[in-house]
Amino acid sequence: MINLIGYYTTQFGELWDKSLFDLVEEAINGVLKQTQLSNKQIDAVFFGNMLAGVLGNNLHSTSRISEILKVNIPIFRTEAACASGGAAFNLAKSYLEANSNKNVLVIGAEKMTDYSPEETITGLSAAASGEEQEAGLTFPGLYAMMANFYLEKYHYTEENLAYVSVKNHFHGSLNEKAHFRKKISVEDVLKSAYVAHPLKVLDSSPISDGAAAVILTNNRDLINKQKKSVSVLASEVVTDTISLKERKNLDEILATKNASNIAFEKAKIRRRDISVAEVHDCFSIAEILAMEDLGFWKKGEAGEKIKELSTKFGNGGSLIVNTSGGLKAAGHPVGATGIKQIGEVFLQLTGQAENRQVKNVKYGLAHNVGGSGGTAVVTILAI
Amino acid sequence: MVGIVSYGFYVPKYRIKTEEIANVWGKNSDDVKKSLLIEEKAVAGIDEDSLTMAFESASSALSSVNIDKSKIKVVLFGSETHPYAVNPASTILAEFLGIEKNYLAYDTEFACKAATGAMISAQGLIKSGYSDYALITGSDKGMGKTHDVLEYTAASGSVSLLLGKNDLILELLDFESFSSDTPDFWRREGIRYPSHGGRFTGKPSYFYHIEGSAKSLFKKTGLKPADFKYSIFHMPNGKFPIQVAKSLGFSPDQIKDSLTVNYLGNSYTASALMGLMPVLEKAKTGDLIFLCSYGSGAGSDSFALRVTKNLQKRRKEFTKIVNDKKYINYPTYLKYMEMI
Amino acid sequence: MISPIKIWRRQKEIRKILGKKGKILVWTKIFTPGTDFKKYAPYPVVMVELENKEKIYGQLVDYEKEDLKTGREVVSVLRKVREPSIDGVIAYGVKFKPL
Repeated sequence: MINLIGYYTTQFGELWDKSLFDLVEEAINGVLKQTQLSNKQIDAVFFGNMLAGVLGNNLHSTSRISEILKVNIPIFRTEAACASGGAAFNLAKSYLEANSNKNVLVIGAEKMTDYSPEETITGLSAAASGEEQEAGLTFPGLYAMMANFYLEKYHYTEENLAYVSVKNHFHGSLNEKAHFRKKISVEDVLKSAYVAHPLKVLDSSPISDGAAAVILTNNRDLINKQKKSVSVLASEVVTDTISLKERKNLDEILATKNASNIAFEKAKIRRRDISVAEVHDCFSIAEILAMEDLGFWKKGEAGEKIKELSTKFGNGGSLIVNTSGGLKAAGHPVGATGIKQIGEVFLQLTGQAENRQVKNVKYGLAHNVGGSGGTAVVTILAI
Repeated sequence: MVGIVSYGFYVPKYRIKTEEIANVWGKNSDDVKKSLLIEEKAVAGIDEDSLTMAFESASSALSSVNIDKSKIKVVLFGSETHPYAVNPASTILAEFLGIEKNYLAYDTEFACKAATGAMISAQGLIKSGYSDYALITGSDKGMGKTHDVLEYTAASGSVSLLLGKNDLILELLDFESFSSDTPDFWRREGIRYPSHGGRFTGKPSYFYHIEGSAKSLFKKTGLKPADFKYSIFHMPNGKFPIQVAKSLGFSPDQIKDSLTVNYLGNSYTASALMGLMPVLEKAKTGDLIFLCSYGSGAGSDSFALRVTKNLQKRRKEFTKIVNDKKYINYPTYLKYMEMI
Repeated sequence: MISPIKIWRRQKEIRKILGKKGKILVWTKIFTPGTDFKKYAPYPVVMVELENKEKIYGQLVDYEKEDLKTGREVVSVLRKVREPSIDGVIAYGVKFKPL
């Protein structure tokens, strides 16, 4: 049995005063304090980060973390573009399945604001294939192609997409740690400038700094001692082609569909048992596709259903999505997102979500995607 | 007999009108048009250069014939706007066309006559038996300084000719070349825009060398202007070719079809060759064509060509194609020419 | 500077897809490009299915607004694909033109 017993996140946003490893250190200290564990009680660390090598010329981060933590334990870094955090969590779980009575620290972190937007956009496009980069397709460009395809196939307009951002910004206004706290309207979204047609500035998650950490353990005594603890029912990683053009269908992320099916099977629960979910809304279209690919809504329906705002906090819906503010409003420090998503579900399940606490939650799901769908991680937690 | 087997051309889609430029500089556009006889000129897009245009014209030339590419053992690239100062565009072109690898390639420069000079060298390589075919390209994304007369004339374009000794559409009856050291127009290494000697580019330069080359060819062959159906001259503007044609004894009728400069501008190494394009649209078997290029610095190549019955099956549409165009404004022109 | 060797390897592949016809499967228009593409922005990028069913990405050039639609017939042409550094090797690649 593997449990998540602690979570800490830094503020997400433009954190000029903090370097990448300042943020990592803050997250480590925060989660150790939360769980009242000492650094010497950590048996292994898994670190999710995408751009430290590309932008900051910083690799061998594992050794840097050893320096921060002041221990000589196994430390591993994973990279799966925006799913780096989720992938790190998955490996941590596998480590605990192979080693008994261990405590593992999982950190996701990213520093993006030290560089010009063009440099960062170029760095992010490393998650795309060489041909996609050569054609000048940015990250938003790839999701924009999926958006155009989806909107045309199911006869929706840009307005349908806007509801995702409106909902997530509302949630962001309830989350102190979110990058953006301002509420926005559908009109605001439609009036914002195009980034890659049809996606506009307010359809797109921002460039943010941040770090988040969780502690996982399979040590029964420790689990029993902890006041706040949730069990990890499933964590599944599925990959697919890096090239959007090589995918079987352009209106779905197959990796998400498959990861979701396997995760629900392993967890032995149904879609309707999930009351809170953090899904990967790097762009508004991504949440639309996620709701269908995860199996919550039927294929092609999400564009219409999102307008009902049943997944918005306070509307009495049975499934609330992205109470953290999602990537859109909470911010998207790439490596940190996967951990933040899992952490938010942890807060909801353990009654620590304060003014955005959803009632009667038993099962929660976190969904993390890398690139335009080359990697998907689906994690299911239960209290 | 060596001659031209097939041909191809490429003119970019964009045009800028003389008045669009004149208005920016506060000049009377009617005066400018009257003095240069240019209505508009062709402008290559921001992502086009002499190599990409050469690929288009050369692909077109090769598509007209079904030959074994390994028989093309000569590839010559003439330009004033080579993509590199050192690195042959001729091999980049050959590689993209699928010509490899037992061939002679080099890039040539002699201002606007870089390609026609290459034609003369190439016909020698075919006659000597080294190669059955030679691919010659003239291609330029012509540059002119702003607020200078070249701004109205310098244009983009490319023409490719496949030379050979069988199945010709044009027989190369004879040719001559006339050269001297005359600094009428030049560009130093590392300097973006060419400079010129103003009125010096006229009588002692363009006219002197063309007349020298033409008269030399007439003397050698015994041909007279009246023997030719068409005459084509290098076109730095719309006036010079008409004036030199007259002074040599050609009639306005003989030159009128070739004046592409009026609506396409001066595409430097492709200029005289571009004038051949509308002529080939209508020329008939047996017609004699007089083609005379001019390159600053200075020199002139003259050619006497005869149309064969094969032109009919390899003729290409020109007028309709170049009329598929899109007008751009001055700032867009500066952007495409990477001047801003 | 992009590695000239990478450009050289890539150009052998480019040769095979020049002058090919196809249809636009999906398009977008990029307004916020990366560093190497700044001077071309805004530009449309299309995913094209060639006659042999192969799928290729490329920018769309020499186009009108109406050409940006699913199903539009295009042909691949040779163009410069990135802003080279002033002393780097020029990268030529494939873009598409409406037919």
